[in-house]
Amino acid sequence: MTQVLFKNRHPDRIATMEEYRAGGGYDALTAVLGKYPRSKVQQLALDAVLLGRGGAGFPAGKKWMTVAETAPFPRYMVCNADEMEPGTFKDRVLIHTDPHQIIEGMVIVGYSVMAERGIIFIRASYENAARILEREIERATTAGFLGDNILGSGFSMKISVHRSAGRYICGENTAQINAIQGKRANPIQPPPYATEKGLWNLPTVTHNVETLACVPHIIRNGPEWFKSLAAIPTAAGTKLYCVSGAVQHPGCFELPMGTRLSDIIENHAGGMQAGCAYKTCLPGGASTRFLPKSLYDIEMDFDTMKKAGHRLGTGSIIVFDEKTCLVGATLNMMAFFARESCGWCTPCREGLPYMRDILARIEAGDGKPEDIPLLRQMSKYVWNSYCALAPGAASPVESLLTYFEDEVQEHIHQHQCPFSSKG
Amino acid sequence: MPKLIIDGRHIEVAPGVKVIAAAEQAGIMIPRFCYHPALGSAGACRMCAVKFLEGPVHGLQMSCMMEAKDGMVVSTTDDEAVDFRRFVIELLMRNHPHDCPVCDEGGHCLLQDETVSSGHVMRRHIGKKRTHRDQYLGELIQHEMNRCIHCYRCRRFYQDFCGYHDFGAMGSANRTCFGRYADGPLENPFSGNLIDICPTGVLTDKPARFKGRRWDFERAPSLCIHCSLGCATIVSARYRELVRVEARHNPAVNGHFICDRGRFGFGFANHSNRPHHARIAPAAATYADALQAAVNQLTEISRTFGSQAIGTVSSSRAGMETLMALKILASAQQWRSPSCFQDARQRNAVVSAVIRLSPDTAVCLHDVECSDHILVIAADPIAEAPMLALALRQAWRDGARVTVLDPRPVSLPCEYTHIPVAPKQLSAVLQKLMNALLSSPDTPQFPPLRTSDDAHNAGTVSSPSCDPKPDTALQLPLLAASLQSSQRPVIVCGTNIVSGTVVNAAADLVMQLRASRKNAGIFNILPGANAFGAAIASPDGASFSEILTAIESGEIQALLIAESNPVRWFPDRARIRNAFKKLKLLVALDYLPTPVLDVAHIIFPTQTHFETPAVFINQEGRMQQTSMVHCNGMPLSQQTAGKHPPREFRHDVPGAGAKPAWQVLLELNAALSAVNTPLPSYSELWEQIEQETGIAIDRRPDSDILEGRRLRLETQVHLPETPPPDTPPPINLQEDMSLELYPVESFCGTEELSAYAPILCRMEPMPELIMHPSDAAGCGLTDGGMVTIQSDAVTLDVRLKTAAGTATGTAFLPRHRQLVWRQAGSTDSRASLLQK
Repeated sequence: MTQVLFKNRHPDRIATMEEYRAGGGYDALTAVLGKYPRSKVQQLALDAVLLGRGGAGFPAGKKWMTVAETAPFPRYMVCNADEMEPGTFKDRVLIHTDPHQIIEGMVIVGYSVMAERGIIFIRASYENAARILEREIERATTAGFLGDNILGSGFSMKISVHRSAGRYICGENTAQINAIQGKRANPIQPPPYATEKGLWNLPTVTHNVETLACVPHIIRNGPEWFKSLAAIPTAAGTKLYCVSGAVQHPGCFELPMGTRLSDIIENHAGGMQAGCAYKTCLPGGASTRFLPKSLYDIEMDFDTMKKAGHRLGTGSIIVFDEKTCLVGATLNMMAFFARESCGWCTPCREGLPYMRDILARIEAGDGKPEDIPLLRQMSKYVWNSYCALAPGAASPVESLLTYFEDEVQEHIHQHQCPFSSKG
Repeated sequence: MPKLIIDGRHIEVAPGVKVIAAAEQAGIMIPRFCYHPALGSAGACRMCAVKFLEGPVHGLQMSCMMEAKDGMVVSTTDDEAVDFRRFVIELLMRNHPHDCPVCDEGGHCLLQDETVSSGHVMRRHIGKKRTHRDQYLGELIQHEMNRCIHCYRCRRFYQDFCGYHDFGAMGSANRTCFGRYADGPLENPFSGNLIDICPTGVLTDKPARFKGRRWDFERAPSLCIHCSLGCATIVSARYRELVRVEARHNPAVNGHFICDRGRFGFGFANHSNRPHHARIAPAAATYADALQAAVNQLTEISRTFGSQAIGTVSSSRAGMETLMALKILASAQQWRSPSCFQDARQRNAVVSAVIRLSPDTAVCLHDVECSDHILVIAADPIAEAPMLALALRQAWRDGARVTVLDPRPVSLPCEYTHIPVAPKQLSAVLQKLMNALLSSPDTPQFPPLRTSDDAHNAGTVSSPSCDPKPDTALQLPLLAASLQSSQRPVIVCGTNIVSGTVVNAAADLVMQLRASRKNAGIFNILPGANAFGAAIASPDGASFSEILTAIESGEIQALLIAESNPVRWFPDRARIRNAFKKLKLLVALDYLPTPVLDVAHIIFPTQTHFETPAVFINQEGRMQQTSMVHCNGMPLSQQTAGKHPPREFRHDVPGAGAKPAWQVLLELNAALSAVNTPLPSYSELWEQIEQETGIAIDRRPDSDILEGRRLRLETQVHLPETPPPDTPPPINLQEDMSLELYPVESFCGTEELSAYAPILCRMEPMPELIMHPSDAAGCGLTDGGMVTIQSDAVTLDVRLKTAAGTATGTAFLPRHRQLVWRQAGSTDSRASLLQK
């Protein structure tokens, strides 16, 4: 299996800058800065079909192109390391593996949009990762890959690490922009888009850690090489899949984009734990839909998942076995989302706690038959909320009612959780 | 211009208009909580969901977040939209305490309306409701956080619209609440608008709490007369008592909001000492007796000392009817024409401002918001015209530059450049600015002015020419360049600390900018709600200081004071008391319990503008009329000493002895005239006013009257060619170091009417003497210490505040109601400063 992002992965330590450079690290930067026109960098990313790894899957090159040539300065480059999606830990692993590819990616993207100010917005509980980044930024600066007039190209860039105050919503692009400016982390609905008016009303490009880490490799090896990494011709690159739940070897694996779910679970995560049978999984973090058993063999890439009515999200697979109560699991996630709502719009602020309360009553055996249509109505209507938090939060509930209604009905009719009595 | 169809109605709107606003233009009110025309869209409540059937977007969308586009077909009544809105209400009502019977908002609550109209009746949620701890937000606003539906209007108004940050959103998710870090009074002088914009009962009117429901009140559109802007209000009264004032939408003037002085300053109308019956001192009298006594004595004085021995005084708080009735009376009886201004400087400044205002150059408050560079000269907006500060902020939010040329450490809720310039240097600085404008390339020459340079200098005391300080000199070319590069500059000019020379120089700047094809405008601030009207009614009347001199010399033997309190702005109490003692007759007409009433021989109580229609002309020449809110009388609470219901049954209204001042004056005129003069009605009075001054009352349908109408001055109003003369500069505090003391306004505590509102009196800050730190050091004074201002008339103890933004050589003292001090501007005033 070709390891690109995890090429320098060690079980016990972080890759050094020398190690990274020995493997071709910072070659892309040297090749690009002052030599490539910015449009060429953008075109390379576009040709490589680099899709945003934060969950939305937006083409990265396209995002850079929305920063107009005539846009005002200074422009900002934000690296979104506010990894708070339940079940997701790929960014943390990536930073702890080989942090310089992120820094190099930021400088290249910064160059392509003429952003001289880089900010890594990192989850507050990732203090270790934040310190690693701060240290490696220092080293990269000393080595001349960051700071003023990088490699004599005339392009300068400074990167600072900004620790989040610790809310899930801060991971949302526009809420993050508010958070960095010291405002309440409420999302802002475009237009204007952040690439036009972001931080302090200036152009701001935000990317996920993994997306940025892919950039130097694309520049160095070319778009065709990147596309060839994928398992299927319609996808491109590798993907960091996180697997957690009832599997033998939970962890983060770099696999070709489009690797089948069954392959990931059985061959890479070591299969189900002893005595556990696969029931379902959340394929891309807590804000995606439960996958029915019929899709156990699905190719895990943005396009295939979308066509099947699901989302790849962050590619973080949370596996549930037959003995796990899905009402309880959904309640757990809904409690998280209800707590993490920013409180801006009604469906999210009031609707999520409402859904949580109903789920809690069902789980406690106090559910009523009319709760099911009520939950269905709410999971439909929270789609009309301000940002994507509430629709994501409703996904487990909606899919629970779609694929596992019997289990919910059992709770209501038995006036207790069927799993608690069995277990 | 996008054309769209909403509920089958074809509408064409301006580009950029949101669908919710487009629907409103077509008469369709889409339910909303967070959307507010002044605050814009937020997309928070999700209440304005409508179904887009055709066009660039499809499906259920928020109408406040969607710009109207060509080809849109929108349904507000689509089943899915209606059902979604019912769902939103259900969510909002999940935690709302449903305490409508004890909530002050009940009856005019948007949440009530939308809940009922959405069809949500049954609460499906089981379990406890969310509760919050309420905060003490000061004396004006009651906080009841449990009722909150999180529309964020309050936060957006307070922080974004007003620029104050001591109130905002706290917490997150379902625990989001709105308040302060800690209990305490709100710092924002516009905080009262939170009451109006809150769609439910979270922020309610504290002084009006539990005073009644909307339908209990007598309500009418009115005007705020606490400064010269003339903001539109709606006034509610019950049991002959004013209960609350709300902002009324006037797009040209105040928009949707008013300041707290205008909202909570109405206490004068309910004041327990308000005169309710005529008096012939020292005893109460019938109106007829008082009138007869006044006629007899005035006739006697006129016969003995000549008609010129009778002086008349009014003020800028009197309505146009009163001012003109007084003028009609004075001219019919050949008395001295009415004095409406406190001193020659003020009269000179105000009359100059009115003369120099032309329909081309006059701009309204809304135009200030749309300006791209505003130069504020000799004005402290928050103190003198609070809503102007809010307009400056809106202009600044849209990218305008704000520059302030004022000696005071002016504070504004926006970014601005402050150039401290002493009042006596202002005209020299403005001249330099004018030179800088003229010296810039391809500037056309100054156009001929309505009044020539000679004309507006004629009769004025030549201002001492001082060279501005070097740093000021450096800033002026930059300011000139910035004004040159702007398209819609507005020059704001105050009249409180400067004379007509500066007002004229400001108007000249506007003319110069217009010559360079700028759409430049002038926005004057005047002292008083009807100062403009006073300038029209009596541009040639003596100032009060001149009246006083005439009394002291015996030229004036009788004085008639109509709705004016000269004691307030002439606080040399000893001199005024002695002068009044010399008078053979002092007749006073007022609705305020002023000190004049204590010494007057004959008193006629008058009606406030809440009790009789009155016309006021604001600082931009906009004529607006108030409506009668309730009938005059003693508030029930005062009559029955709190007992309810009153056990005394009678056919008349208790305490309804007051008449409109203009009516008293005209009755006096009729009774004094030898020939039988018929008593004119209100409309006949206005016919007479039209003949006298050229200004006519508005007789359009009511809906138009509510916005008022700007006078066409050059065709309608007869004004003198030149303003009356100016007076010498104010008092010098320290003779050896030339430190001039100016009386100034503050937001609370200096304005006459609101000084009778107990609620605002409790809030007013302690008066402070403001000086530049270097001046204070020069006098050996320290910041925060008590100083004594000593003059031959009074000794005054006041706290010293040093502020670096003050122009050196100047000191400022608020015209605070608690301070009794010698009139600045009188020739013999000298004072010295001592540290206590």
